[in-house]
Order: sequence, then structure tokens, then C-alpha cells
Amino acid sequence: MKASINWLKEFVEFSLTPQEIAETLTMSGLEVEGMEETENDTLLEVNVPPNRPDCLSINGLAREISAVLGLTLKQSRISVSESETVERPAVEIKDPGLCMRYSARIIRGVRIAPAPQRISQRLELHGIRAKNNVVDITNYVLLEMGHPLHAFDLDKLSGGRIVVKQAGSTDKFLSLDNDEKTLSSETLLIWDKEKPVAIAGVMGGLDTEVAGDTVNILLESACFNPVSVRRTSKRLNLSTESSYRFERGADIEGLIKALDRAAHLIAEIAGGKISALADNYPAPFKPVQIPFKFSKINAVLGIDINPQIAEELLTRLGFKIKREGDRHTVVPPCYRQDIRRDIDVIEEIARLYGYDKIPASLPSIRIQSELPAMRNLLRTVTESLRRSGYSEAINFSFLNPSALDKLMLSPEDARRNLIKIKNPLKNEDEALRTTLIPALLENVRLNLSRGEKSLRLFELSKVFLHSGQKLPAEPLRLSAVYLKGADSLSLWQGKHDGFYDLKGALEGLFAELRIEDYSFASEGFREPYLHPGKSCVVRACKIDIGTIGALHPAAAQAFDISGEIYLLELDAEKLLLNIPAGVTYRPLPKYPYVERDMAIVVSTEIKSADVSAAILNAEPDMIESVSLFDIYTGAHIPGGKKSLAFAIRYRAGDRTFTDSEVDLMHTKIIKQLADSFSAELRS
Amino acid sequence: MIEDILSIKDLAREEIKKAKDSKTVQAVRVKFLGKKGILTGKLKSLSSIPNEHRPEYGRVLNEVKTEIEAILKKQEEFFKSAELQNSLKANRIDVTVPGYCIPCGHRHPTSRVLDEIVDVFLSLGFRIEEGPEVELDYYNFEALNMPKDHPARDMQDTFYINEDVVLRTHTSPVQVHVMKKNRPPLRVIAPGKVYRCDADVSHTPMFQQIEGFMVDSHITMSDLKGVLEVFIHQIFGPKTPVRFRPSFFPFTEPSAEIDIGCVICGGTGCRVCKNTGWIEILGAGMINPRVFEMVGYDPEAYTGFAFGMGIERITMLKYGIDDIRLFFENDKRFLEQF
Ligand SMILES: [Zn+2]
Repeated sequence: MKASINWLKEFVEFSLTPQEIAETLTMSGLEVEGMEETENDTLLEVNVPPNRPDCLSINGLAREISAVLGLTLKQSRISVSESETVERPAVEIKDPGLCMRYSARIIRGVRIAPAPQRISQRLELHGIRAKNNVVDITNYVLLEMGHPLHAFDLDKLSGGRIVVKQAGSTDKFLSLDNDEKTLSSETLLIWDKEKPVAIAGVMGGLDTEVAGDTVNILLESACFNPVSVRRTSKRLNLSTESSYRFERGADIEGLIKALDRAAHLIAEIAGGKISALADNYPAPFKPVQIPFKFSKINAVLGIDINPQIAEELLTRLGFKIKREGDRHTVVPPCYRQDIRRDIDVIEEIARLYGYDKIPASLPSIRIQSELPAMRNLLRTVTESLRRSGYSEAINFSFLNPSALDKLMLSPEDARRNLIKIKNPLKNEDEALRTTLIPALLENVRLNLSRGEKSLRLFELSKVFLHSGQKLPAEPLRLSAVYLKGADSLSLWQGKHDGFYDLKGALEGLFAELRIEDYSFASEGFREPYLHPGKSCVVRACKIDIGTIGALHPAAAQAFDISGEIYLLELDAEKLLLNIPAGVTYRPLPKYPYVERDMAIVVSTEIKSADVSAAILNAEPDMIESVSLFDIYTGAHIPGGKKSLAFAIRYRAGDRTFTDSEVDLMHTKIIKQLADSFSAELRS
Repeated sequence: MIEDILSIKDLAREEIKKAKDSKTVQAVRVKFLGKKGILTGKLKSLSSIPNEHRPEYGRVLNEVKTEIEAILKKQEEFFKSAELQNSLKANRIDVTVPGYCIPCGHRHPTSRVLDEIVDVFLSLGFRIEEGPEVELDYYNFEALNMPKDHPARDMQDTFYINEDVVLRTHTSPVQVHVMKKNRPPLRVIAPGKVYRCDADVSHTPMFQQIEGFMVDSHITMSDLKGVLEVFIHQIFGPKTPVRFRPSFFPFTEPSAEIDIGCVICGGTGCRVCKNTGWIEILGAGMINPRVFEMVGYDPEAYTGFAFGMGIERITMLKYGIDDIRLFFENDKRFLEQF
């Protein structure tokens, strides 16, 4: 809310500079978010929290300043000279739960004209457009006193009477902004004898508007149910100065003052005679009585505050303290409806006393806590991938459903079963992610467009899947992307397929997590968005945990990216829940190994891992390791074939192998490979 | 006879002198000392020398052999050393070519800062809990004293899945989950992603928060101040000024906002701090007794504090980043700076 310093000074005399008053308000809980210098005034932009509707006015802010600084609030004496006529507006409240009080006065014989400058200028300074003297005065009093008022053209009110009741079957209403509003049956309306004339607490109607030809007016000052006003305002998507205040809670006891202040100003400025007061107030306000123990201040705040000081602070805020023996009861003023219980009173004391006067202490620390195992593992995953050259990405959890078409997912794919947001910021963000892949591909696109040639990213984030429960399942996914392109490594790298870069990072991660039982199984499930010849399922501890492979060219085209791109997506929980526990020491071997190389020629269809396994299985107790150290195709190798070279380490646990023993085993293995893979020894 | 040997010596000396490389020296060695070498031949024929001359002849022969041996060795060493020098000179690499090393990847700056924050609170005895990102309206709002139709809901623009399910707007619902499952004393932090229906230079529809709370029988606002001051001084340095000012959150009472002296201008006033010299980094307060009632705690028996902060905001202040959207673009040039 905007507040002019000059206007504030009409209610409380302070000698502080605008900066100092801004600081004072900020430090008492009303944050001044901006200041605007005008010709001879300063405008404060005050952020009034939703629990303080009493501060949504110049008078309210002045009241707060007076309490904080201990100054006197100047009470404007409001008097109305009623005309001798006994006229009194006829008001009937049909829904006292929704309209707790309705007061009104009639003013006959006003002359509509522009308001004097002192009024219209102030309105415009505070962001309200000037219209005419009567309307401007109602707005002026709204700003000054904080209570919304409305003026009707009395002669356009059929039957000259007011009825407050819900819309019922009436579903259309032409409001002041010249817009036909669609009403729900619960909408609270102000009616005349036959038709609705205002949406209660939100906006008046165009038909009964005070305009140039208006002579007689009915001035309304009412109090409506906050929830009802809020619902109407939300439903109509219409927030007005009036609805904003009513939904936060208006001062039911102060509304006559506002009515009289406005009536007085109208009679003074626009002329006219003021009628007697109509005041329909079915259930008068009863102030809340809060039992209060002064000792609790210390228990909550940790300060030793003298009860006299606490009492004085409360008195400054307009609270009353009643004493009965040692029992105290605090009664907040009627405009402080946010104060309901003792903790609210304690906050008021703390606020005025000053948070800076509360000392800092440390609660005794029992023991230092530890990172939970899962989070610790996630740090390990991050560190391992980081060491393999992958940087951590964080993307929004939103998904554009069309990305799933680009990934060519089948119609039955569970990842198409999306959880959708009712009110997305944009349609592209209407669903929650079921896979992290589209976002990583978008990251590739962005980096390519900015001139980057290579990229290694990973992301550890949740995806959102339907669970059959009220809330979705939120499993954690680990995804990575590798865009192979010229970078500092290409100086040293041979012409290997980029698949092995990403696979190597993953194998490094397995090593870091001490997962030894893993495999890359090229049979079985195929990700539709991966190259069928360059992708596979990743299996760890006998469970399929995800897929790895090159991006399918058709998917690359759909995402409008080019280059060699490799992707990985794993179920991080499946991966991390199967980690073998701890490390067990194995004694070092006592006898030396004998190493023999073996180069064989096989069909290119043969998988190297199958050959390695066959070698190992041929002499499982005698062979310690089999490592592939060369793959060759080209000169001297027939078409459709490749040469695989293995280094085989033979080692016995109880003796040193002799050459002839090793020769025997080696020959046997070659023969077995010839049988099972049609392998020939490379000459 | 002796003269013959001496002339062989001169001849050998002469040839060694003329040799231009170790190969020639080797040839000279073979010629004189090899199995079929001249001097070797003489030694073999020693038996044919008459007895009376044999000792003298043998002595001279051995002396000559030793001498030639020595000269040969010297010359060989000379050439070997020269040749090594030459080969070392010829065999050079460009030491300025970059080394073979997989460039290390980078931790996301917000994760880096989050880890730092988490470690501070672990050292203060807080443990970590997490909650769902898609949350029931009840946990996100109602149990935190924000019933439906409460204007305080306007403080957080909410993404709805349906009437009862939202994307959590803050990490505070974790408070409710933890308190419903556990009895005090509690000392918990809860980091995670949160969502608000808002996007501009300083707002993204998703960001990360960390919530912290402590509940016990005698927790005061003074403890809240102490814990947060320790935290701020660890993260921003021990001399960072801190101020607490009153604020409003429906789930805390009294509520506070915590400012630190502007890290950009040092408190003299700049664009970032809107010339106030202060920057807001945290919301906090004493847990509202209504929240205790919602989770079934006796509000007369327990007090507690809670606080929450945005990780991106703290990261921006720590590194001087001026656009929150950079955190979610994953531009390599940005990520590689951390
Ligand atoms: Zn600054």
C-alpha cells in the first residue's frame, strides 16, 4: 500500500526523516519496499502482511507509527450535521452470516462536479483515478480510514431500499467496469426492491452509478464475510481496493466513523442534506478476552522483560489489560482481529520491544548428525560422474507432452501417463516429468546454439509417475548426456565410438559404488529414442536398472539437434539400493602369474564379453583375469570378421605354473573358442 | 719379435685415433682383440716362443693388450656419450601440448551451496528429512494454518494438480510430516525443490529451499537467533551483520525475516539491496501453537522454531549471480565456473 508522508503527518506528528520512518516501519513488521520522492512529499510503498488489514490505510499506518514511537495519534473529530428530516434508508439483511453489518445514509441534493484538487491529487498519488466529487470522496475515505464505501444513485434504486442477499437464480450482473459478470448462486449481492445493484464488497453496478446527473445518493458502509468476498473475487478474477480489504477483515466497529467522515465531506464539498443513520447490525461485535501469563513471554522469546514494560507496549497498541488477582486478561482493540491468543500478544510485545533486543543463545547440541546413507551415496554418484567429466545439471520438473512424441514412445509407454498441472505458466509446461531425457536434450540444443561443440551433463532428479494413490510416486532418476565433439580430450582420443565415453563414466560409477555384478545386455528392451545398434539395457546386481545408447537420428531430428549424442537413464533407487555392503579383504596371491596373449578372428556379430566369459569359464580356477586389449578390423582380416586380442593371466593358488601347464590350458581354450565361436587364431 | 708387438700397438693406437664413431671403434676391437684378432693370434701363438723369451714376450704382449683395451674403452665411452647426447638432442617432445586428462565436471552451484548449508546444520545436530514435491493441500497449507480461502495463500502462487493436490510451494510441509510421525525433541532440516506459479528475472517456477526446525520443551526465539547467526556466519563469513525484523507467516508466531548486511556493497547501498544496505535471506519464527495442535502436540508443553530459505538466493549472493534463470539453463559456460 502507498502512503504519503504528509498525509501520515496529519494523524501523527513525527520529526523523523522519510528514511527513518521507513526504517521504523520495516523494523516493526511493515516492510517499506520502496520510496518515491514527489514535489513536496514522499510516498512510501508499504508491504502490509495479510494479517494486518488494520494497516491498509493512512490512519492505520499512523496509528502503528504512534504505537511504535510512543507518540499520540490525532483523532479527527467526526461529526455529521443531520438534516431535520426524519428520512432514514431502509436496509434489510437476509444473510447475516455473510453481511455482519450494513449502515447507510442518504444525502439529497448533491451537485456532481470534479473533486477539489487536494482530494483528486491525493487519490492519483496513491494510484486511484479521480472520477467525480462523490466517488472521489468515498475513495479518499477508503484510503484515509481503510474502510470501503459505496455510493449509489438513490433515484436509480428501485423502491429506494437496500436488501442484502445471495444471487440465487440471478446469474448476470453489469458492473461498474461495464462488464457483464457471471454470478454463482452463492454470490452475495446488494439489491434494491427488484434487481441487484452491487456485488457486495467487490464492485457496484453500472445502472446505479453516481454520474453527472445524480442528485440524491445512498452511501453504504458495510461489513461482509471475508471468505465470501474472497471467493467471489477469486471466482470473478476481480480484485478491487474494496475486496482486498474485506477479504482480510474490515473494522466492523469503525465503519460508522468512515461513513460519517465521507458524508460530512460530501455535504461540505458537493452540498446536500444528510439523512439519519440506518444501521443494521444483527450481532454486535464482542472483543476477544485472552487470558495471559506474563511469564510466558520469557518462555517463548528468551528475554527477561519487565511486565510493566510489556503492559506499556500493549497499551500503546490500544490493548486493554484487565487484572483479577494474579490473572491477567488482554483485550485487543476491535480492529486487531489477528490477535486471538496469547502467542499473538507475545508477538506484539516482541515487535514493539525490538527483535534486536532479543539475545542470541545456542541450544545445547547433543551430537553432530550424519548425512543419511542415501544422501551420502548421491554425493558419491555426483563426485564419480564429475571426475568422469560430467557436470551436474538441474532442470525444471515440467514436461512438454509433445517431447514424448519426439522420443517416439509407444502409446502404451507408462511414461505417457502424465500428471498434469491445472494452471501451468505455459502450455509447454503443463505436465510433470516422467523422464529426464527431454530436458537434457534441450540443454544440448541450448549449448549447441551458443557455440559449444561438446557437452557432458548429468542430472539426478525425481520423476512423477501415477501410483494409484492420491499422490504420485516420485522415483529418483539418474540421467546423463554426452555430446561428442571437438574438445581438449579429442587431442588424445582415438576414433572410438562416443558410446564408450558414457559407458566408461558409468563403469567408473559402478567401481566407485563397488558394484561388480553388472552387465550391458544388448538383447531385450529397446528404448525407441536410442539407436537400435548402439544401445542396450544396463543390468546391475541382476536387475535391469536403465538404458544407455546413442540418440536415434530420427529423435535427434525431432529435437532439432545434430551431432553424436549419447544418453543414459537409470533408476537411481534401484541402483543404490543394491549396493553390496562394505569391503572384504582378500589375501594377496602367493605365487606369480603367467600371462599369455591370444588374438583370435571371429565374426563381427560375436560379442567380446561372451568370448571373455567363455575364456574365463574354460578354466575358472586357473584364470585370474581376461582383458581385451585390442579390437581390429581391416587389412589381413576377412570382411565380416574382426580380431580380438586378449591378455589372459593364469595363476594357481598353490604353486607356480610351468610353461607346459599353461600351454596345455591355452591350447584347450583356443579349441573351445573355435568350437563355440568359430574362432580362428590370428596368424 | 717385441718390436712386432710394439708396432701392432702403434697400429692399433693409430686406428683407434682415426675412428669416427663407436661402430668403427668396435671394428678395431674385433680386428685386434677379437677371437681372430691380431693380438689374440699372438697370444695364442705364445707357446711357439722359445722358453727363454717367453716371459718377457708374454709380459709385453699383456701390457700392450691392456693398453689397447684401455684406449679402446676410453674411445668407446667417448663415442657412447656423444651418441647418447646426440640421440637425446634428436628426441624431443613439445612439453606445451596439453596433458592427457579427462577434464573434471562441475557441481551445480546450488548443490555446492546446499551441501555447505547441510554440513553446517549437521554439525549443529540437525538431521535430514525429505518430503514429496507433489503434496496434499492439507500439508502444504491447512496444517500450516492456511485454511482454504485464507488471504495468506496469496503470498504463494500455487500450481494445482487438482483441488486437493498441489506442487508444494515451500518445504514447510515436511515439518508437519515429521512432527506427525515423531515426538520431540526434534532437530531437522529438509532440503528440496519447491514450485510457484511465477516467472521473471528474480523468480523461476521451480527453485530449491531448505527448511529447518527444532522442537523441544524450552526452545526460545533467542535460540532461533543463535542458531541462525551461527549458520549465517559460517556461510557468509564471521563478520557478516545480521538483523531480525518482524514479519508474518501463518505457521510461525512470532515471525521474523532475517537480513544480512549487503554482500555486494558492504552496506553502503546498491541496486541489489535497493539502497538499504540489507538483504533478506531467511524467513523464520517460533512454530505457531496452531501447527502443534494440528499435529497433536500440546502447545503448552512444547515450543519450537522453524526457518526456511531459498538456496538459489543464497547462491546468487555468494557468487554475485544476478539472474536466477541461469541456474536452470545448464549453459556449459555457466556451470564450468563452479
Ligand atoms: Zn547493497
